[in-house]
Amino acid sequence: MLNSLLMEFAQWLAEQPFSISLHESFYLFNWLETTHVLTLMLSLGMLFVIDARMLGWWLIEVPASRLAARLALPMWIGFSIMIATGVTLYTAIPVRYTTSIWFRTKLILLCVAALNAWTFHRHLNASAGTWELDKVPPRRTRLAAATSLCLWAGIVVCGRFIAYDWFDCGKAMSVFMNWATGCVAIAASQ
Amino acid sequence: MVEQFFAWLESSALGAFVKDQGATFATIEAVHLMALAVLGGAVFVSDLRLLNVVLSDVPSRTVTDNAHKAFKIALAVLMITGFVMLSGVAMKCYHNFYYWVKMGALAVGIVFAFAIRQPLLRADHATLNPWTLRLVAIASLSLWFLVAASGRWIGFSS
Repeated sequence: MLNSLLMEFAQWLAEQPFSISLHESFYLFNWLETTHVLTLMLSLGMLFVIDARMLGWWLIEVPASRLAARLALPMWIGFSIMIATGVTLYTAIPVRYTTSIWFRTKLILLCVAALNAWTFHRHLNASAGTWELDKVPPRRTRLAAATSLCLWAGIVVCGRFIAYDWFDCGKAMSVFMNWATGCVAIAASQ
Repeated sequence: MVEQFFAWLESSALGAFVKDQGATFATIEAVHLMALAVLGGAVFVSDLRLLNVVLSDVPSRTVTDNAHKAFKIALAVLMITGFVMLSGVAMKCYHNFYYWVKMGALAVGIVFAFAIRQPLLRADHATLNPWTLRLVAIASLSLWFLVAASGRWIGFSS
């Protein structure tokens, strides 16, 4: 049901003039993709600086909440560019991305990472001042930072793997994989 | 000579290992990207601090010293994974203009980071001309952006 709805939306999007022209343009698509990938130097770079501080790896002489607050703006500028270019890239090849197991996994991991960041942010605000200059931050703080880094490593892996055709529709796959990729909806619409 | 080395590298056991499975190359690529994110974090946090854009209430020396440690680790991972990836597509890279742009920028970047930037930043930052610090930061950001961008373009121009 959900697979069919997603597929109908993707097929409708793929027929729109802006989607077709973006798909067919070599340079615009590549520039968007390059921007999307390179912006990770800013967004994930800042995220790494913050998470590594929460793990007590470095910059322990700087209060953790101050570091997080000061680096939030450049990090969010980076994430905003990544979201904008990511959404635009999706509109260029919507059917393939909708049926990519890596794209789907990436979006799920993104939601989990956002949830982890949100709950951790609340915890940080509530506990600020109690541990900020400790040499080893509290266990919960380290756990949240390690979870964040692992989730983002998974997001990078999934993002890179989207380019490969190992699980593209039409390949011999199990019933579960056909459902998980959404390829079942393509078969039903043909 | 260089071409022979690239041909040898691609036919070596390492080249065969990388080419054997598509997932091997893709996984190394993903690790390369993760290290790029760490390098980006180190470069941005220290250069934006030198430009007084972020963390202006933290001593700049504290930021640049800490960032340089992560920079060295990230650069080492990038160079190792980069070399392993190269072994799988050595001849393609040999004939690729952007690969050589990247190698040139990388060489300049390494010399700049270790022979100019870091020795300079070991001094008391208060004694340095603020414009020197700003120019160092702008040059560093530009160089590493060029390395990363030309690297991404290798894949588009095959």
